[in-house]
Amino acid sequence: MDGDYFSFTNKLFSPEEINQKPEALAGIRVLDLSHMIFGPTAARFLAQYGAEVIKVEVPYQGDYWRGGTYWGKFWKHSNPLWHYINQNKYFVAIDVKKPRGKELILELAKKSDIVIENFTSGTVEAWGIGYSQVSKENPRIIYASLSTYGQYGPLKYFPGWDLLAQGASGLLSVTGYPETDKYYKIPDFFGDFYPGYFAAMLIMIALHYRERTGEGQYIDGCQAEILMRALHHFTYVAATGQDLERTGNYDPTCAPSGIFKTADGKFVAIAITTDVQFERFCRAIGREDLLADERFITAQERLKKENARLLNDLLDRWVREKKEAEILDLGKKCGFAASPVMNDVDICHDPWRRQRGSVIEVMDKMYGKFVMEGPIAMLSQTPGRTKWLTRPLGYHNRYVLKRLLGLNEEEISKLEKERVIGTWDYRVGQRPPIYYDIQKDPIFNYEGGEEH
Amino acid sequence: MKSIKERVYSRYLQKKGVARQLSAWQELLGKLISAEGKAEALDDMLVLDVSYANFSGTIAASFFAEAGAEVIKVEPPEGDPARVMTPFGVHVDGVGIPYLMECRNKRHITLDLEEEKGRENLKRLASKADILIETFAPGEMDAWGVGYRQLKEMNPKLVYIAITPYGHYTEKAKEMARIPWSDLTSQAESGLAALVGDLPDEPEPYNWPTRAGFLAAGYTSAVAAACGGLVASFFARRTGQGQMVDIAAADAYASCVGFPPTIGYIWKKPRYRYGTLDYGLCPYGFFKCKDGYVAVACFRDQDFRAALKILGLWKIEEDWRTLLDRITDDIEKVKELNHLVEEAVSKFTYQEISEKFARYAVKAARSKWRGGGLPVTTKMISPREVTEQEHWQVRGTFARFGVVTLPVTGKMSRTPLRVKWLSTKIGQDNDYIYEKYNLKR
Repeated sequence: MDGDYFSFTNKLFSPEEINQKPEALAGIRVLDLSHMIFGPTAARFLAQYGAEVIKVEVPYQGDYWRGGTYWGKFWKHSNPLWHYINQNKYFVAIDVKKPRGKELILELAKKSDIVIENFTSGTVEAWGIGYSQVSKENPRIIYASLSTYGQYGPLKYFPGWDLLAQGASGLLSVTGYPETDKYYKIPDFFGDFYPGYFAAMLIMIALHYRERTGEGQYIDGCQAEILMRALHHFTYVAATGQDLERTGNYDPTCAPSGIFKTADGKFVAIAITTDVQFERFCRAIGREDLLADERFITAQERLKKENARLLNDLLDRWVREKKEAEILDLGKKCGFAASPVMNDVDICHDPWRRQRGSVIEVMDKMYGKFVMEGPIAMLSQTPGRTKWLTRPLGYHNRYVLKRLLGLNEEEISKLEKERVIGTWDYRVGQRPPIYYDIQKDPIFNYEGGEEH
Repeated sequence: MKSIKERVYSRYLQKKGVARQLSAWQELLGKLISAEGKAEALDDMLVLDVSYANFSGTIAASFFAEAGAEVIKVEPPEGDPARVMTPFGVHVDGVGIPYLMECRNKRHITLDLEEEKGRENLKRLASKADILIETFAPGEMDAWGVGYRQLKEMNPKLVYIAITPYGHYTEKAKEMARIPWSDLTSQAESGLAALVGDLPDEPEPYNWPTRAGFLAAGYTSAVAAACGGLVASFFARRTGQGQMVDIAAADAYASCVGFPPTIGYIWKKPRYRYGTLDYGLCPYGFFKCKDGYVAVACFRDQDFRAALKILGLWKIEEDWRTLLDRITDDIEKVKELNHLVEEAVSKFTYQEISEKFARYAVKAARSKWRGGGLPVTTKMISPREVTEQEHWQVRGTFARFGVVTLPVTGKMSRTPLRVKWLSTKIGQDNDYIYEKYNLKR
């Protein structure tokens, strides 16, 4: 084939053309009744690829994560971390505990393709907005109930979130050093985010099925189970009779491997997986003699605890005498896996990530310039994209209720007066930035007419 | 008699007249238990798994296989090296543990892509496939004449998923093309390792960047590939147009949780390792009690107040009253509160704490004045203990094939995910697949 492969791929994925390309999920409407991270992440994934996601919150309260920023740091009266979790959504605030509020939510659900919720098992059914109620009039609905322990089984009413799911799934017990009593959780609510994408995957599978048959369905997305699905430890314990012990910073599936400290005080991760890589690695460090040693020739021998330890010690000593840049260069030249340990600032400014679109700079109408993570998967024809950041609580009330349910200004004012719908209170995370003139905002004060 | 926890957390279900309303849904739940006789969502799809020494590809293919697609794992005659990438070299049935776990519902065939015949056969398969997953160095399949550029000409609806450390485009991807995939290096480069490990003033190597003790990057990239692949093939179903999906393992963790670049941008300084503490909340962690580790996680102020009362710490309430008092970048303050909780928790057993929490929650749910505080807790358990829990047995979370135990999830009312068989041998399905797709011998 003519031409350089990378000129072909660079053009194929060109970031400049993203906004001119179609969106795969255009025309799919999602009603997001969920809070915190697990549910909202599933909905947000769909929003990044073109679905219209309506997020319903409690008036004057909102999603608790609006206020849950790290180290108490807010940005322009918003939680900077919340923008990533809920980008591209429409924000309405409806009180489900008022009969009219319930009706509005049910009406929105009837006009949706997907509903996502994360209340305690059975709660939405008790409220009258559950799958059995919505599917009666909208059998095409895909309804995902997301919870820590699932919708049935003895623990179904137990509440939970990331931390509890990590503890209950066995995940928490696998990280750390074997001789210590410290068990490190995976940070940044990984136990919510990872299951969130997994739930999006289940929803996409259901969407494929509906496209084929016209039939919707109910999904019981169980957070702890989804984390278990990522552990080979169950298979290990069943096969050997022993729990797989913790190994600090070395990976027992490849030898040698580990995170090591360099001569210039940096940390690098090195992992040698295949026999071919081991050969390249030995030549790279000038230790061809190891290739003649039967303890190290095959992966199966290298992985034995005592042999892996010998190789890891050797690698540790080698790294201590080399600078980070030398090691990374050698990996690149010789073809073995060596990576720097990158932190938040490194990642933010990494030119590769900027070029790739993994880290993106957004210009938002309300918040201005912002830097955030891009989509999790890069698609050449229907790329994911960030269209807007989050909005204040109840920002899209008029826009959504007038457009979708055909309510008029009089009806909406009445709902506001009765506090069936509402907006923000004084709390940071809910309200618009102080410099922003919300009274002049055409979406917030939507009168009808053109699309957003 | 319902347990205390049940009474608290199901309070909306106990209102008058609600029971009648739940029957249809409860009937549906009863049917979720078994996948038997149910349809498979993707049983009209053909997926080729050409991944090599890369668990992410293998795992992504498993997800399609669990949803009913015909998944053909294509290996070189000597097998995929991922077969032996297993903890401490432990094998079952001649295959390593992580690979075994992902052998669900697949067909195993061998093709030698370094030979013309093997490439010809791959083309035949790809011309009929909906999805192809590959993990070779960027440009390698292209050089063999079976890359996306060539295959899309034969099959315009093909979704071609590539998983590599740095992706298939950008200058760096080209420059680093020879660097192979590994889970550990992906964890490190994508921002995870920098956050796991003990506080800076703790001894070495405990304060070093630490590996998450499972294939954290591997599974994250796999879910990314499956999600991206399903979106792309949904578009192909509607329009007939295929495309390429590109996953970069070196961005696995950051692209999953999303926080690192924003923290770099807004905070302007990197986070250091925080031991068992948390950046966002305090207390939010597992604390050592008399007989194990117990979670204390307080998000709302009322939950925090509840925990203080239960743990006998009410006297400190004034100093830590609001969420903003408790989420701070002053590590000494965080340590102080954490230490107080740690001390209090150490006096109880898990059972004691769990019951106290539940009892408090019952009262709180009835009283306006307590503000509905619902402190939540659980015990840290090991994978072995998880498999013994009644809850997961009732849910059928673990499939068993002889000595092999596998976690399965994806309960869906019409098209649940499921494990039908495990096929582990190299070339096990050569006869069947070669004949079915008319491949050259």
